[in-house]
Amino acid sequence: MLRSPYFMVGLGLLSALALVASTFWNAPQLNDWLFRISTLIILATSWNLMANAGLVSLGHSAFWGVGSYTAVLAANAFGGSVLLTFTLALVVGGVMGALLALVTGSLKGIFFAIVTLALSEGLRICALMVPEVTGGAVGLFLKQELRPSQHTLYLFGALAAVGSVVVAAVIAGSKLQFASRAMRDNEAAAQMLGIAPRRQRLIVVAISGAMASAAGAINAWYGGYLDPEVAFTLHNTILSQIAPILGGIHTIAGPVVGAVAIIALSEGTRIWLGTMEGVSQLTFGLILVVCILFLPKGLVGLVQGGPNRRKPTPAPRLPLASTQGAKP
Amino acid sequence: MDLIPQLIVDALLLGGIYTLMVIGLALSFGVTRVINFAHGEAVMLGAYGAFTVFVAFGVDPLIAMPVLMVAGCVLGMVLFKVAIAPVLKAPHVNQILLTFGIGLVLQNLALVIWSPDGRSVVPSYAYSSFEFGDVVVSGGRLIGFGIAAVLVLALFFWLKRTEFGRATRALAEQHDAAVLMGINVNQMYALAFGLSVALGVATGVILSFLGAITPFMGFHILVKGFAIIVLGGLGSIVGAVLGAFLLAFAETAVSYYVPNGTGWAEAVAFLTLFLVLVLRPRGIIGQAVAD
Repeated sequence: MLRSPYFMVGLGLLSALALVASTFWNAPQLNDWLFRISTLIILATSWNLMANAGLVSLGHSAFWGVGSYTAVLAANAFGGSVLLTFTLALVVGGVMGALLALVTGSLKGIFFAIVTLALSEGLRICALMVPEVTGGAVGLFLKQELRPSQHTLYLFGALAAVGSVVVAAVIAGSKLQFASRAMRDNEAAAQMLGIAPRRQRLIVVAISGAMASAAGAINAWYGGYLDPEVAFTLHNTILSQIAPILGGIHTIAGPVVGAVAIIALSEGTRIWLGTMEGVSQLTFGLILVVCILFLPKGLVGLVQGGPNRRKPTPAPRLPLASTQGAKP
Repeated sequence: MDLIPQLIVDALLLGGIYTLMVIGLALSFGVTRVINFAHGEAVMLGAYGAFTVFVAFGVDPLIAMPVLMVAGCVLGMVLFKVAIAPVLKAPHVNQILLTFGIGLVLQNLALVIWSPDGRSVVPSYAYSSFEFGDVVVSGGRLIGFGIAAVLVLALFFWLKRTEFGRATRALAEQHDAAVLMGINVNQMYALAFGLSVALGVATGVILSFLGAITPFMGFHILVKGFAIIVLGGLGSIVGAVLGAFLLAFAETAVSYYVPNGTGWAEAVAFLTLFLVLVLRPRGIIGQAVAD
């Protein structure tokens, strides 16, 4: 039963619902953790969607940052509400994802990863260089009088997290999931099977971008302040990938489990080791390395049982089938 | 005042240092087919190595460089055997995230050890400069360029004329055929990776007396390195050299002629990366990108 996909979906949904329910328990510190877990669930689920299609994003902070700026700028300019700016961030993130998919065409693996990395860094510099719009290095405050109560935001974050898991679950049951999996294994072969890789990629990256951007928007309301370093911080890129890896990549519950574990871990290191700079990031780096080397199926893989080891190395490919034909 | 001669000199000096910065990245990718997202951290550690030796023993970075490079090479080989070798045949996702994670660990180790404060090494030549007519040449940059040129030429010589170098090229060109010729693949992979780290360390030593050293300097270097490599064509070392000089010229020109140019120059690398990948993904010289 533990291996059944329905169990995993159910587990993911139940924990997300628990998240929503617990926002009604009035404990500020706990709620702060839950809020961070919620946004991380959205970010991690979004990253995992791309990873499912074989697209490694090293620039999720790009979507997050654009969503944050969308929310703050829209709110300040025409007094948009949380819901309105959230929707706007969804749209902007979706369009941005679609553009990214169009621009990257059939770039795969490291090339896609490098483009996303450059995208987020490039956007950070742009945000820094146009202070008329973004406030530049000085930053930008969300108008205080517009901000709703913290509790509204906790609830909103938790609902959005549930929403993202539901989207992931719906996708998991749809044709898109199988198309993604086929693309991850071999895009050319997927095309032969009648899957249009570019269209699938467009859909996946747009949905994923919309999610990450929306998470950024909620967080901007929560934080109330933005500058290019905060909005496009590499930290979010790291969290977005480490949570699914730790929880279990290519699963629905993985990003949720990972998000909870990561926030618990970062709070734990903060409480026990103090706020010494670098320690939590150091732990994250170690987790990333250790998980990839020894726990490729993550925590979910541990619970699910079964072989949680790398598959035995396949027999070496014949020279003719080799793709390693680079000329120095 | 005519800026052109000054621009050319500045861009050439910068291009030389960029070449050294990316050639290690290109070498390790060309041979092992794993792109090392932690290469910037090798540069960063090289710079901190030079700083530590300078502060603790008063040894000039240039004298410490050979020792630091050997240490880097050995550490690189060990790292390869322990962490990279197990994922050589794993999916790209694992390779990317693994080297990214190693970079993260090294960055934050440096943060814990050396604190986030910017450091710098100031040997006597760091701030020297001299003039040829209208053109001002920075002594530190000239020395950096000279060392970079020597190391890059040495690498080319090694690749062309030595047994190990030939084996390395054979592996990069046709992996399976090279294996059939009895080349010890694991040994050569580790060696190429170690050398690439050593070249990164050398870059760091040069950068240590040209600007501030911080734990996170490696990340910017990495992205610039990618831009250069993609521009030149992934897998081509000659392309990497070309790309380095092109980017150096573009950045210098932007910082000279565009208002607020020094800030925007940082974005040139990203724009280049984007444009090249979209318009001509194989770069100037280089393999096709479609896997």
